[in-house]
Amino acid sequence: MKKGKIHKPPKHKEKRKTVMKKALLKDAFKEIKVSYKRFISILLMALLGVGFFAGLRATSPDMVNTIDEYFKAQNVYDIQVMSTLGLTDGDVEAIKNVENVESVYGTYSKDGLINLDDKEVVSKILCVEDINKPLLVEGSMPQNQNECVVEEDFLKNANKNIGDYIQIEPEKDENSSQESEDFLKEKEMKIVGTVKSLLYISRDRGTSKLGSGTVDYYIYVSKDNINSDVYTEIYVKLKDSQKYTTSSSRYEKYVDETKQKIEEIKDERQKARYDELIGEANSKIQDAENELNTEKQNAEQQIKEAEEKIQSGKDEITNGENEIKANEEKAQKQFANAEAQLNTAKNKLKTSENEYNTKKEEAQKKFQEAEAQKQTLQTNLTTIENGLNELNASYNEIIQKLQNPNLSQEEKVILEQTKTQLETQIAELENNKKSVQSGINQIDTQIQSGKAELEKAKSQIESAKAQISSQEKQLTRTKASTNSQIETAKSQIETSKQEIQKAEEELQKSKTEFDEKIKEAEGKIIDAKDEVAKIENPTWYILDRNQNSGYASFIQDTESIENLSMVFPIVFFAIAILVSLTSMTRMVEEERQEIGTLKALGYNKFHISLKYIIYSSLACIIGAIIGMNIGFQLLPRIVWDMYEMMYTMPSITVLYNYEYSTLGLFLIYICIVGATLYSILKELKDAPATLLRPKAPKLGKRVLLERITPIWKRLNFSQKVTIRNIFRYKKRFLMTIIGIFGCTSLILAGFGLKDSISKILPYQYEKIFNYDIQVSLKSGLDNENRQELITNLKNNAQINEVVETYMISGTASKEENQEDIQIIVPQDNNELDKVIKLYDLKENKINLNEDGIVITDKLAQLINAKVGDTITVKDTNDVEKELKIVNIAENYISHYVYMSKSLYEKIYEENCIPNVLLIQDKELTKEQESDLSREIVEQNQVSTVSLTSTIMTTLDDTMNSLNYVVIILIVSAGLLAFVVLYNLSNVNISERIRELATIKVLGFYDKEVYSYINRETTLLTIIGIILGLGGGYLLNFYIIGTCEIDMLRFVKVIDPLSYLYAILITVAFTIIVNIFTYFALKKIDMIGSLKSVE
Amino acid sequence: MSYIEFKNVCKEYKMGEVIIKALDNANFKIEKGELVVIVGPSGAGKTTALNILGGMDSATSGDVLVDGKNVSSLKNKELIKYRREDIGFVFQFYNLVQNLTAIENVELATQICKNSLSPDSVMEKVGLADRKKNFPSQLSGGEQQRVAIARAIAKNPKLLLCDEPTGALDYKTGKQILKLLQDTARKENMTVLIITHNAAIAPMADKIIRFKNGKAESIEVNENPVPVEQIEW
Repeated sequence: MKKGKIHKPPKHKEKRKTVMKKALLKDAFKEIKVSYKRFISILLMALLGVGFFAGLRATSPDMVNTIDEYFKAQNVYDIQVMSTLGLTDGDVEAIKNVENVESVYGTYSKDGLINLDDKEVVSKILCVEDINKPLLVEGSMPQNQNECVVEEDFLKNANKNIGDYIQIEPEKDENSSQESEDFLKEKEMKIVGTVKSLLYISRDRGTSKLGSGTVDYYIYVSKDNINSDVYTEIYVKLKDSQKYTTSSSRYEKYVDETKQKIEEIKDERQKARYDELIGEANSKIQDAENELNTEKQNAEQQIKEAEEKIQSGKDEITNGENEIKANEEKAQKQFANAEAQLNTAKNKLKTSENEYNTKKEEAQKKFQEAEAQKQTLQTNLTTIENGLNELNASYNEIIQKLQNPNLSQEEKVILEQTKTQLETQIAELENNKKSVQSGINQIDTQIQSGKAELEKAKSQIESAKAQISSQEKQLTRTKASTNSQIETAKSQIETSKQEIQKAEEELQKSKTEFDEKIKEAEGKIIDAKDEVAKIENPTWYILDRNQNSGYASFIQDTESIENLSMVFPIVFFAIAILVSLTSMTRMVEEERQEIGTLKALGYNKFHISLKYIIYSSLACIIGAIIGMNIGFQLLPRIVWDMYEMMYTMPSITVLYNYEYSTLGLFLIYICIVGATLYSILKELKDAPATLLRPKAPKLGKRVLLERITPIWKRLNFSQKVTIRNIFRYKKRFLMTIIGIFGCTSLILAGFGLKDSISKILPYQYEKIFNYDIQVSLKSGLDNENRQELITNLKNNAQINEVVETYMISGTASKEENQEDIQIIVPQDNNELDKVIKLYDLKENKINLNEDGIVITDKLAQLINAKVGDTITVKDTNDVEKELKIVNIAENYISHYVYMSKSLYEKIYEENCIPNVLLIQDKELTKEQESDLSREIVEQNQVSTVSLTSTIMTTLDDTMNSLNYVVIILIVSAGLLAFVVLYNLSNVNISERIRELATIKVLGFYDKEVYSYINRETTLLTIIGIILGLGGGYLLNFYIIGTCEIDMLRFVKVIDPLSYLYAILITVAFTIIVNIFTYFALKKIDMIGSLKSVE
Repeated sequence: MSYIEFKNVCKEYKMGEVIIKALDNANFKIEKGELVVIVGPSGAGKTTALNILGGMDSATSGDVLVDGKNVSSLKNKELIKYRREDIGFVFQFYNLVQNLTAIENVELATQICKNSLSPDSVMEKVGLADRKKNFPSQLSGGEQQRVAIARAIAKNPKLLLCDEPTGALDYKTGKQILKLLQDTARKENMTVLIITHNAAIAPMADKIIRFKNGKAESIEVNENPVPVEQIEW
């Protein structure tokens, strides 16, 4: 188009414009196809710039959002209330009535010991509630009182499975005087699932009085299993908290307001609880007293009864004894009577016997007479009998003769006569005999009857005798039995007596026992009363989420990331500007003639530049969109993955952040398209004629160094060429140096940050704090007790030093700045140096004096105080003092205010009584040290013992998290270095393609061509690295400044090794890029490159 | 056997679907010390032949023998060595390294060659002894081409290949350059090949090869080469 045609009517112009635009657009797209490498390099810069910016900026909000969603889903608390003496339903009600409070939950928690096969672990026992609901990972929630859920790590480390049983021994309540009941009803529980708890998102589970002193795990049990009459904590949920994102300033403000309101009812509730406790205790004491009294009365009654019983027993014995006596006497009398009677009987008998004997003698005589008569009679009889016999015989002879047949009649007659005679004689004789016989019989009868009479008398006497004898026997028996009865009675009485004796003794014993018991009980009541008197006022702790260590460190980490996200993108944007500037300048230069032609043809500046603007806009927008998409997805996830090692949470929810994406796109657009416009407009200043002519190649020029002949002479040819080339392409030279500089400084800053962080612990706990054990003494310990403990400790072979100090926490403030501090007052200023070395910031020793206090350096910075300033120090007893700073001490963790004892006593007007002992032990192994600490904690003067080594281990974990920042730094530095160097190398090659083709034609080997270029790169890399080390040093301090947590002072020291790493890693990246360059150089087409006009 | 032999050399380029035959069975021979001028219209394959001969390109088929060495069978590294030691190139647009002075441009070549000539003497030979410390931009076109020639001959190559050495120069300067080349061939007994589309300068050569359609259409040996000064065009 000719210039003149522009004056045509606007209508046509519009049409033409469209056509024109079309052509230009086509050209632009064609251009992209042709110079795709350049397009991609700009696109890549936009991608990296926006990706890093948007991704990194979004990371922190994404993390916060993730925790926020997680918290809300689990019905998180807003405010937590704890009390030193437990909380009651009354407290719950009271808090419910506070403004903004939606719901209040009282819940329970306690530490417990779980015995595993080879070890003992401490677990927090929590209770499943509607607030702070644990997130179920596997299995089911506990339904019964013998079920529990644990965290996954526990299963892993304890080698347990769902369905296994565990035994947990809850901590006993120390405070209550009586045997406290167990916190859990069922101590053996079945694991029914695994959960994540929002209360413990980090590995930090807090400290415990049990086991090793740190809580290892948490377990959740059903509410049914809890056996506690007071809540251990109250969780409060606020009405509007769902509306706000956690940790946002609006949320913080809202919570603070409500906290303030709860703070207002605190005193009242504390007092109520105190009164309640006192009342309870008192009524208990009253009950005990009443019971004691009843008991006392009962016992007394019983004793009385027993005594009475004994008395009556005694009386009975006396009665019995009397009775026995009477009985005895009576028996004696009776016996005497009986005996007398017996004797009479005996006498009678004797008389009877005598009579009998006389009678017997008489009878005997009579008998003899009778016998004699009898004898006579007998003789008569015999004579008769004899006569008879003769007669009989004569008779018998006559009979016989009569029988004789030969016997004459006569004779017979004679004989008969004789016979009859004889018969008469015989009969006479027989009569005689009969009379004699009867006489004899008469005498016999007489004798017989006399004898019978005698016999009768004798038997009478005999029976009388027998009677007497039996009577005698009976008497003897009766006597014996009576005597034995009496004896028995007597012995019974004796036993009773003994029994009573015993009873009396026992009574005596029980009396003394009872007295003792009563005394004891009374003593106890008195003690209990004393204790009641000692019941301290309960203290409420009103906390919010920020006091949850896991949450707080997470939020702090998100803040660190946010701070980083402020720094890094700046570096990337700067590099993006530089890279696109070189690329586009080169592009414009390459198309100089085309631009000239267009200009000659009459296109205006806008139309000419349109192509380049479209080109760079497309690269920029495409890159930015890809970049933000990758950034939003990738960076938060990478960062999250790193933090996931430290936090137990559901996976991150990545959000598309329109704010940051728009801002990122806008910024990169300004950078890249701005750079493009700058280079094109610069070119367009020239007249078309000048543009049409090939741009005079950069003129060869002597460099300054050539004038310094001594040096120049010493350089060989290739060195001279290198130096001249470096100075020839100043822009690229700068760019390379900046790229390398950025890379090195980022890496160095990264490693430096790591050094700074990793040195905090050794500096704080080896350089400044030299003590190994901190022993808190029980309050109210008297001097003697304390000295005894100290002497014991000092005599311990494992202990080097024992230093007495007074420590109290508090706040230090100046104007509106306020920080939490720890006040340390040594008993002896010189002793302190043995365990705490105070250096000022110039490494000079500080001595405490009476003029003022020494504060630590970070505190000074945070409250903006200098030596000579006066600050307000308030301790936990709410005593506020204005103190002058005399020195500022080196310190890395927490804030401390040191003052001498004399100053303390002067200012506070009271004696400074040590409450903390700082102990330095000899080189001990971990086991020895923990044994020692156990030994110390068992002393009854000691309240708590904390080991420096334990603190160090805990802090070490926290510090390790910052290592991820280092990784991010190194990775991004590498990317940066790569993109910049690769881009520069491409520009370098394209700009010098003719020169390179020429030397190739001349017969330079590939390696020689490479080193021809590489010598420059190497030199620039060296310069870049050297500058980068300096820059890294500064950047390190800048990052430290942004990332530093209020509680910490990072050590501003970079390890020499880190410099080495920074150098090596940068060199490695450079080498990677150089490998690409090598192949790009190898591919250079000599013929094509040399054909065109120069 | 000739010093240089081109036997049935073919060179094909693929341009998308189309195959272009830049050289189609080209055959020619050149003797040592000859000054050869290759003429022909654009696209006849002169430059391709020169590039193949110079080791900048390789033939698709056929043999290229230089001093008994088969260049067409050389591997990349050997090809570079061949360029480095045996070939000197002079281009239409001089292709000097802008950032190096005249003498440095020569040194750039000599420092990689074993049998190189002294840069100073070469500069003297091309008549630029007093301008050797100037940068290319400070030299005229003719002077720059002289430097280019100096750079080529300083390597003491077996073959000096010149692609349109006067193409960018005015008549007078062109003549001077051709003179320099002719003198070099004569004095140094160097084999010199000059490509030109200007047939008028052909009489200066010992041998004239005419290219057409990728073939050496005619090879004419000029028994009486004319000194450049006497050639007019």
